[in-house]
Amino acid sequence: MTVRPDNRLADSPMVHVACRRCSANVLARKSTWEQTSVQWDAMSVARCEQRHDARALCALDGRGIFLGCSELTESILCAVSAGELALVDEQ
Amino acid sequence: MTTPQDAEQVRLIEAQAAPTRFARGWHCLGLIRDFGDGTPHSVNAFGQKLVVFRSGDGRINVLDAYCRHMGGDLSQGTVKGDEVACPFHDWRWGGDGRCKQVPYARRAPRLARTATWPTLEQDGMLFIWNDPECKAPPQDVTIPRIDGASSDEWTDWHWYTTVVKTNCREIIDNVVDMAHFFYIHGTMPTHFKNIFEGHTATQYMTSGSRPDLGDAEGGVKLLGTSSLASYHGPSFMIDDLTYHYDHGDSQTVLINCHYPIDTNSFVLQYGIIVKKSAELPEEVAVQTAVALGDFVKLGFEQDVQIWRNKARIDNPLLVEEDGPVYQLRRWYEQFYVDVADVTPDMVDRFEFEIDTTRPREAWTKEVQDNINAGVVPAVARSSGPSE
Repeated sequence: MTVRPDNRLADSPMVHVACRRCSANVLARKSTWEQTSVQWDAMSVARCEQRHDARALCALDGRGIFLGCSELTESILCAVSAGELALVDEQ
Repeated sequence: MTTPQDAEQVRLIEAQAAPTRFARGWHCLGLIRDFGDGTPHSVNAFGQKLVVFRSGDGRINVLDAYCRHMGGDLSQGTVKGDEVACPFHDWRWGGDGRCKQVPYARRAPRLARTATWPTLEQDGMLFIWNDPECKAPPQDVTIPRIDGASSDEWTDWHWYTTVVKTNCREIIDNVVDMAHFFYIHGTMPTHFKNIFEGHTATQYMTSGSRPDLGDAEGGVKLLGTSSLASYHGPSFMIDDLTYHYDHGDSQTVLINCHYPIDTNSFVLQYGIIVKKSAELPEEVAVQTAVALGDFVKLGFEQDVQIWRNKARIDNPLLVEEDGPVYQLRRWYEQFYVDVADVTPDMVDRFEFEIDTTRPREAWTKEVQDNINAGVVPAVARSSGPSE
């Protein structure tokens, strides 16, 4: 079964953002200052230092869900401030 | 007289038939204590009938229920030693799927094997591995341990089982559906984030109180909940769920799991354990588990009411404040294709955090309007966030 595209991406697709810390390249989309979606790939996951540290920690604790990288979150906010990533709300 | 609308302007609901294939992955059949009594149990799952039995060697085995000799139902038979004996002609089948003995024959068929499912007994629960490709479960596809389940500091499982007559994709959709928690479950989401990665799909949610719904039984005031809930594979969710009361926190683990009976029905199961504490000694903790379980039950009943009447929809029309339904379904698709056909976009990490500002404004106003009008809405109270 083919999964269809998200109707919300038609007008404002995801754009590339690089992390200022590790240069991991992800696709990001910001609906508002408080709403973000991030599409990683295998390479960006492998690069992320916080993700790497979380992996090391979760070997001790079973559930091990990595909630997100604060450096990447900051980098995405910077991309908005720099005008590289538009807020959907303000388009 | 009205004129017919231009067909191109009408958005149509599109839906393919539900898949006839069943998901690859670990599925929880229920509590070990309900299967381990040494008699054969029948389970309808994956479009088939299975027999589950604990053999003399202590292992729990899962086989196709129908005897390969003349089609007798093994789940109506008896356990004899390490084998299950067919009620029809007493053929004996071992947990490895081989016919071990035909008491009236000089020799049992040596090569024939019946279908078996790999099993896992963990934290009081019985899991089986379903794989349309008939491969063994990979080492890195596991169900995480739940420490509380084997600890005296927690209650035993308080467990519920019910049959839901719809395709199981509907319950998966709840992972991303923030708004239904307000409208169906009477919670007030304050923070909501999804993360999909590999074979896990996570929902992180905090919620505030709903003063229009009144206090829970006994006048206890619920301030809100924090919930970190993940599907580990296609059907088994562990929810670390904390209830915040004015007298302190109550730590619980909520399991939300299912297995398909067939394409259009599934068995839904949920279980709860509650951590005991100074404020929550054994007896009170057990009562809490029962009470929370009843809340969750109410919540699922509200879901079921929706599912019973709704349309299957492959092209949901979403606003910015909705969760990542399409990306969740892309993740879910990995369990319905051969391993060789799993594409990176199905398993690559994806994060989606919703800005709850606007929904909270709308919902706070609705709550205030309810209070002003003296109306108590008909939603489940204080139910667990993840379902």
